[in-house]
Amino acid sequence: MKTTTFGRRFLLYVVPCLLASFCLLVYPVYVIRPFRAQGVRELAVALAVARYRAPFMVASVAAVFVALVWYWRRERRWLRRIASAAAPLAVVAMALASRVNIYELMFHPLGPPAFMAAGQSKLAGDEMVIAIHVSTVARAYPIRNISYYHVVNDLLDGVPIVATY
Amino acid sequence: MWRAEVDGLRLRFHLAGINDQNFLMRDEETGSYWQQITGAAISGPLAGRRLTLVASDELTFATWKAEEPHGTVLRELAADIPLYSKKDWDVRMLKAPTVIAYPESGLSPRELMVGLHGFGASRAFPYDGLLKEKIIEDHLGAEPILLVLGQDGHSVRAFRRRIPGVAAIADFYRVLAGQSASAAALLMDSATGSEWSFQGCAVSGKSNGVCLERVESIKDYWFDWRHFNPATTVYRTHSAR
Repeated sequence: MKTTTFGRRFLLYVVPCLLASFCLLVYPVYVIRPFRAQGVRELAVALAVARYRAPFMVASVAAVFVALVWYWRRERRWLRRIASAAAPLAVVAMALASRVNIYELMFHPLGPPAFMAAGQSKLAGDEMVIAIHVSTVARAYPIRNISYYHVVNDLLDGVPIVATY
Repeated sequence: MWRAEVDGLRLRFHLAGINDQNFLMRDEETGSYWQQITGAAISGPLAGRRLTLVASDELTFATWKAEEPHGTVLRELAADIPLYSKKDWDVRMLKAPTVIAYPESGLSPRELMVGLHGFGASRAFPYDGLLKEKIIEDHLGAEPILLVLGQDGHSVRAFRRRIPGVAAIADFYRVLAGQSASAAALLMDSATGSEWSFQGCAVSGKSNGVCLERVESIKDYWFDWRHFNPATTVYRTHSAR
């Protein structure tokens, strides 16, 4: 299949968008992954990319669709038209994937926490708890439970706290 | 345990990443990323800010319940019960790999430490050593401090070794079971001869009713404590000296 002039121009627009979207998606995932030491600078860059990539992703999606429309107006062969749609779809998929934080999927956050009286709890006496006392309120967070959630947002006597483990 | 507030803005956090095997939290209000162990924002609009530490304890449920009979306990979610850590999770964690190690310290990366930070210094105490010694008198920077193992054999607390109203720095000794009329008595001090509970309050003697000032401590793996407290020193137990 011979590439036309406008086909080459289409690729010239689309490939950088694909590469940019890929880098914006993958770099934070590559850097911020378990069982890997994170360098200070690369972590800062990865977090900045994760924070600011959304408008670039949207721009990338817009650019590939403009390129697609431009290409379709010139290309009459349906097989090539369909094939050319793969790149914009990939950019859309990467833009959507960039909205997902894999850690937020893996570790389910606990919603508003519920509590029970110490006397009613069936927790074994040797279970370890994180204990806190604020004003007149005393709370215990069993470690085996919060080590699953890792983060518990709570309010004790009007004082917002975050219990972590 | 952190106060989830900065300049009057309440922050709600969720786990959002990892940095050298210590997790990162992101607040929903500003999108800033926070390091769990330091409470410092490392990225986002609040970068450079720190959360305020809230005093907390790592205790056995029995000890906590005896101290706080009217307290409340986080309720389990039925759907999540199969996902909670198993009973032997802490033993299994000791075998988990780490990406950071400090072999020159002579400590294994997963060695459990009791970390103290304050008075311009950081110091780590091997938890196993504390289990053996039960009471450790030491210094944090220039401040005389005391680490005590609770009667349950698991819970740990740290205190300044200054008794309010007493000029001399006291030495503390463990009260053996059956040697005191008070079941709460765990320690005795050399300056006043008072007996002290695990809560750091005198339960008999001249200082009865007086409490020692608490020093915040955290149980942490050596690699994690050392990585985020690079200037830390390490207490060597008597058997390791």
